[in-house]
Amino acid sequence: MRSILKAALFAAAATAALTTASAAAGLSGNLKIFLDTSNPAPRATMEKMIADFQKLHPDLDIETTVIDREEYKTQIRNFLTANPPDVNTWYAANRMRPYVEAGLFEDVSDLWRERDIARNLVSTKGAMTIDGKQWGVPYTYYQWGVYYRKDIYEELGLDEPETFEEFKANCRAILDSGRACVTIGTKFLWTAGGWFDYLNMRTNGFDFHMDLAAGEVAWTDPRVRRTFMNWKDLIDMGAFIDNHQTYSWQEALPFMVNGDAVHYLMGNFAVAPLRDAGLTDDQLDFYQFPVINPNVELAEDAPTDTFHIPAKAANKEAAREFLRFVVSADVQTEINNGANLGQLPVNAKSSVDNDKFLNKGFRMLSSNSPGGVAQFWDRDAPAEMAKVSMEGFQEFMVKPGDLDRILRKLERARGRIYK
Amino acid sequence: MFPRPIQTASRPARAAYQAFLPAALLLWLAPLIAVAIFSIKPDADFATGNYWSWPSSFEGFTNYGKVFLESDMPRYLLNSVMITAPTVIGAVALSSMTGFALGIYKFRSNHWIFFMFVAGNFVPFQILMVPVRDLTLELGLYNTKTGLVLFHIAFQTGFCTLFMRNFIRALPFPLIEAARVEGVAEWRIFIHVVLPLMKPAIAALSVLIFTFIWNDYFWAVVLTQGVESQPVTAGITSFNAQFRAAYHLMSAGSIVAALPPVAIFFLMQRHFIAGLTLGAVK
Repeated sequence: MRSILKAALFAAAATAALTTASAAAGLSGNLKIFLDTSNPAPRATMEKMIADFQKLHPDLDIETTVIDREEYKTQIRNFLTANPPDVNTWYAANRMRPYVEAGLFEDVSDLWRERDIARNLVSTKGAMTIDGKQWGVPYTYYQWGVYYRKDIYEELGLDEPETFEEFKANCRAILDSGRACVTIGTKFLWTAGGWFDYLNMRTNGFDFHMDLAAGEVAWTDPRVRRTFMNWKDLIDMGAFIDNHQTYSWQEALPFMVNGDAVHYLMGNFAVAPLRDAGLTDDQLDFYQFPVINPNVELAEDAPTDTFHIPAKAANKEAAREFLRFVVSADVQTEINNGANLGQLPVNAKSSVDNDKFLNKGFRMLSSNSPGGVAQFWDRDAPAEMAKVSMEGFQEFMVKPGDLDRILRKLERARGRIYK
Repeated sequence: MFPRPIQTASRPARAAYQAFLPAALLLWLAPLIAVAIFSIKPDADFATGNYWSWPSSFEGFTNYGKVFLESDMPRYLLNSVMITAPTVIGAVALSSMTGFALGIYKFRSNHWIFFMFVAGNFVPFQILMVPVRDLTLELGLYNTKTGLVLFHIAFQTGFCTLFMRNFIRALPFPLIEAARVEGVAEWRIFIHVVLPLMKPAIAALSVLIFTFIWNDYFWAVVLTQGVESQPVTAGITSFNAQFRAAYHLMSAGSIVAALPPVAIFFLMQRHFIAGLTLGAVK
């Protein structure tokens, strides 16, 4: 009996090993990959990763096409319907919704049920889910938050604020010392979108924020107004630098570097130029945006880049294997390290470079963002609404007294854009 | 003659001229000077707000070294050559022939055809953006150097024909009649009689078209999109990372990209000015 069982087990194990081996080695045919990672560094990272995948599957004929990142946004609808690749890059959440609803992306919920992915990709699952199904996998994301001058905090005897009241108190102390509290360059609008994201998510919560982005809440709603009132507190005390509407986000960096401003609400990509400019890790630090309304869960902005399989792809088996490869812990560690993308891996088993800011961001997103992960205002809201509203945010920051008129304008735009 | 030489002006006028000329020149060249200074600054100067003062360290060699050795700039420069040279040859060759036909032969629709070439110049090329992009896409020429070359030749031929036809019109017609009396075939007349006389026009036009095409940015961005096919004017933007603009490298790249047309201008200055004024005075 025992030997029979043993033999059966052995046979089962052998078949399992064989099938895995054949599944891994048996990939053949063509795999067409479309990438929007057209900037030199991400492009090299992706090409290296695909070359590694090719080594694992020598019989697979991989053809990679890199399309300019901006160009890609107009071409995607075209190629998904007419001449689809087997794998393509895109963005999470609302940005993938039109293609999901048009039936152009493959449902990959089966991948998300596999043990490794189910366990280790929890933090981005929400961003990949529409109608209870998953439509792709993430390959990189990065945190947003408050970057600040630690040395000036120490000089003025300030502590990292936990609440918005404490943040405003810090601001007052900073303003009294003759500095601006916050640097920002709103010339290209999106930086103001970041402030709106955080103020609204902290005032009204992630779900309300998403409803507003989806056009289901009126801009004249009193809850929206409450968000703007919190913003107005900062504007009225003169927290933001002057003439911010004339600077790009990069041109607003010198204020922080020279100690004329103390905070910058920004994505983690701000760290590299700040370090290049001579700020050490003793001078520069990071904290999560403070709590405004203790009754809503913390939620963060973390724009996520993704891979999808077009519904009309020819080689879905190889495409699925490629997606598994991309999100595996080792590949995630490799492509997101400082020498490559320099962002956060989406796999909780991956390791993050020994970098203060990456580690803080990784911890924050994988354990302290229970409300959800937003994709940033211009990705969560439809493009047209994002443009009109961010123009409104900028105008509000310059003329806070015109809030009513601006909100009415946004409400009219909502009536026109969402139909 | 207008303008009058400055030497004949009154003394105060001359003094004012001498005072204002350097100031105007400086103002005029300020953006170029800024780019030249940016190109030798370290990256950090842009994050510390040190835009206009002395560079905090001299990084000219590093920046230009990066442009030539660590970026795709050489490839973009080569693309530019491979786009510009065939365009110049194609447009000049075609327009010499059309100019010859329209300038020498008297046939009924001569003027109408000529007007069509001229009218092409009045079409603002931006409105062609979408149709031309779709056309190259359908022909399979999108994102190829060939597509860009063909479009440039087609579009430049209008101006070149106007130029060549007027030049050929001004040649002494008896030369051609004499050749005809000798029984020389028409194509031989074109090659052996007219072409040698057209040398100054060909030189002037080549220089002009070279600078037009080399400096083209619009069509480079519309019709091409990768390092395989984009010319240097569009390639400069590849120094930008996803989030950051590398001002120092872009400046160095711009200087490098601007050198060939500037060199051509100084080497062929005589032809360039001839090209701008040829046909203006008959």
